[in-house]
Amino acid sequence: MPAGFGGLLPALILVTLFFVVPVLALLLRSVTGPEPGFQNYATLLGDGTYARVFFNTFLVASVVTIVTVLVAFPVAWMLAIMPSALASIVFGVIILSMWTNLLTRTYAWMVLLQRTGVINRTLMDIGLISTPLPLINNLTGVTIGMVYIMLPFMILPLVGTLRAIDPMTLRAAALCGASPFDAFCRILLPLSLPGIAAGGLMVFVMSLGYFVTPALLGGTSNMMLAEMIAQMIQSLLNWGLGSAAAFILLVVTMALYALQLRLVGAGRATGGV
Amino acid sequence: MTQPFLSIRKLRKAFGAITAVHDVTLDIPKGEFLTFLGPSGSGKSTTLYAIAGFQDPSSGDVLLQGKSLLAVPSHKRNIGMVFQRYTLFPHLTVADNIAFPLRVRRRPDAEVKRKVADMLAMVRLESFAARLPGALSGGQQQRVALARALAYDPPILLMDEPLSALDKKLREEIQAEIRRIHRETGVTILYVTHDQEEALHLSDRIALFRDGRIEQTGTGEDLYLRPATDFVAGFIGNSNFLAAEHLETIDGAATIRLGDGSVVSGVNVNGTFGKGQRARLMVRPEAFRMERNPTSAELTVEIVDVAFYGERRRIVARTAAGQELDIRPTTAAMETYNSSLPRRQVFFDPAAAFLFPA
Amino acid sequence: MLLDYDRMGWLRVALLGFTVLVAAFLLLPVVFIVLLSFGSSRWLAFPPPGWTLKWYGELFADPAWLEAALTSARIATITAMLAVLIGLLASFALVRGHFRGREILRGLLLTPMVLPVVVFAIAIYAFFLRLGLGGTTIGFVVAHTVLALPFAVIPIATALEGFDKSIEDAAIVCGASPLEAKLRITLPSIRIGIFSAAIFSFLASWDEVVVAIFMASPTLQTLPVKIWGSLRSDLSPVIAAASSLLVVLTLALMAVTALLRRKFRT
Repeated sequence: MPAGFGGLLPALILVTLFFVVPVLALLLRSVTGPEPGFQNYATLLGDGTYARVFFNTFLVASVVTIVTVLVAFPVAWMLAIMPSALASIVFGVIILSMWTNLLTRTYAWMVLLQRTGVINRTLMDIGLISTPLPLINNLTGVTIGMVYIMLPFMILPLVGTLRAIDPMTLRAAALCGASPFDAFCRILLPLSLPGIAAGGLMVFVMSLGYFVTPALLGGTSNMMLAEMIAQMIQSLLNWGLGSAAAFILLVVTMALYALQLRLVGAGRATGGV
Repeated sequence: MTQPFLSIRKLRKAFGAITAVHDVTLDIPKGEFLTFLGPSGSGKSTTLYAIAGFQDPSSGDVLLQGKSLLAVPSHKRNIGMVFQRYTLFPHLTVADNIAFPLRVRRRPDAEVKRKVADMLAMVRLESFAARLPGALSGGQQQRVALARALAYDPPILLMDEPLSALDKKLREEIQAEIRRIHRETGVTILYVTHDQEEALHLSDRIALFRDGRIEQTGTGEDLYLRPATDFVAGFIGNSNFLAAEHLETIDGAATIRLGDGSVVSGVNVNGTFGKGQRARLMVRPEAFRMERNPTSAELTVEIVDVAFYGERRRIVARTAAGQELDIRPTTAAMETYNSSLPRRQVFFDPAAAFLFPA
Repeated sequence: MLLDYDRMGWLRVALLGFTVLVAAFLLLPVVFIVLLSFGSSRWLAFPPPGWTLKWYGELFADPAWLEAALTSARIATITAMLAVLIGLLASFALVRGHFRGREILRGLLLTPMVLPVVVFAIAIYAFFLRLGLGGTTIGFVVAHTVLALPFAVIPIATALEGFDKSIEDAAIVCGASPLEAKLRITLPSIRIGIFSAAIFSFLASWDEVVVAIFMASPTLQTLPVKIWGSLRSDLSPVIAAASSLLVVLTLALMAVTALLRRKFRT
């Protein structure tokens, strides 16, 4: 046995027995249940109902990723350069939100966003709207709830990326004659791009397979893949179809994850950021 | 009186309770190579940053051709700068780095292309145009930075310890390059360094900083041969300080008594001294001679150590008063030197010695 | 000058304002839920018509809530201990070992963190149905340990990578056995990593919803399952009370973390 390998054994046994084997068994089930063949995959990829779910899943994940990146970037930018006393307050808020129970946070958004919720009430009281806005059980609700959950995962790594950029580089750009706008577009943004891409991809991958928040804040008309899989198994007891859908989700996720690893790795290799 | 090209007027910069720069005033003619020399924390970089617009001075002004620069944001000052750290844009190629200042000035493509080619030729890096900065050595990166800073023909080039991250051999190579480029372009250069040799090799004039003030401004020779203060004498070149007592001063030449009781006349003096006032006499290690001549003063010393330094020897000697001296005669002057004599006389010309307050 | 905080002018004002807004957005649900738990309106009107403790009363009067909390605490504690122990052994092998495929094995151990939980949930659910482990504490612990392991391995391996092994070697040269050197020198040096691993793997189990929903049985349900069930039926203020207690727990964990970090640093 190679040197130092022994310590890995308990972890490997655990992960092999209770992760790899069950997942492979699930894969097997997708081509055997109820009978051998690829009919489950054919059904999933051929049927318009399922195509809608796939489309929705990608739509929600894309919208969530774009909004998260747009919101996270300015915050990460400030966190990277603001005085540490001030920054630690903001970091505290981020950690508090991140560590608070997922259901608690989602519950709060359910109450806040509902027809008679605080947000609709406030908007009506100040006369901006006369009838409540549909903020929940639709794309808006899912987006708000998901962006809320994903923001820390985007902000924290991006702070690292931005801190790695030498402020002198931006001073050099200014002295070269670059206006703040030019310096942003030509220097700061390109230098943060590897971090944005890696973080964005991570948010996208996480959003693709998210279950709890879409299930509680989304509507039936824009169901996402994870919820559909859960329903196939739990309510419809259709193991073959559910397994096949799960396997599709697995393949897409792992492929994007591999891409993300390559992005992060490439960033390190060039010594850039 | 003609208007100075660049003028620093009563510049002061305080960070909270700490004042980094006190009242710095300096006029720089066009085309000059001026170096801010001084130990770290002496305010030289802060002064440079105020000119670059990275820091707002607490008071005072910086005028370029009579117009104040302070209200102008950095990106409109049209000043070139090379930094201590490598500040090339890591995601742009060498050519794109050099083109950057021209592109943000929206110059036509043809002009950008021509100028980049000129600049690459100037720093002799034509074959590196398509490389990324990460693939360049430190010296090459600083040459690109120089090309980038000069690409838009700025009237002033600021250099903030640009060679401090390089090894000695490379430093000397790039020093020669900087001198050549200064000659060719005629750009006015403000250069910051803590390395006195670098300052002496490069500059037309040196402003020596100490604790946020300029201690002395002059050519390298001025500072070396005619130091205004003991700080200047100690900072530029090597120096020995001998305890002395001032007897009298006539026409800028003083008579003093050294620790061993010998009286020396005709030493240079800065400032006024009273009779009997304690003082220090500065003599450069190179100013000591092993042979007597008609005007020289003499000291009896005990030789502690002799080391070979190539063109010079370095002698460690001890005076009767127990003070150690650093003496550096030329190797040629040492040919007749008899090493078997532990105690002997060494000589110096009083005109090469300076009296400073104790 | 875009990275010079002191020289950004109006841009800093704009960005700071935006940052404050985002921080408020992140804080809003947490603060809101705590306020709501003291509001007297059963229909969650806000601002509440009056203040009351009755939702906390209802919460504590229902033994199902307490039981679910205790179940969660038990499972999360065992999970955290197992994950830290297995993660510690694995981290030493991953950081110090010299064998082929080390990176691949590291990737394998971290995969449960990346894979959508729902996929793992139905896989392990099906698997445990066959083994008869569904709805048991052991089943929960095993499944949660798989999920928590990456959260233990990452901080411990990071701490271990930052620890200079020659210090451990020095202890061995001084006469300590290799095990003794690890226990007396290395482990205390990487305790921040071990401590973070414990907190993260505890939270990974404590907050875990998806696997729990599939695995739960009428006799064994964790706190998230209980909340999930209540959420699906109605938005009762009792959930707000339970949630507020969870917020308090989070704050307590943050405080302990901050205190220990400060203590360890000096």
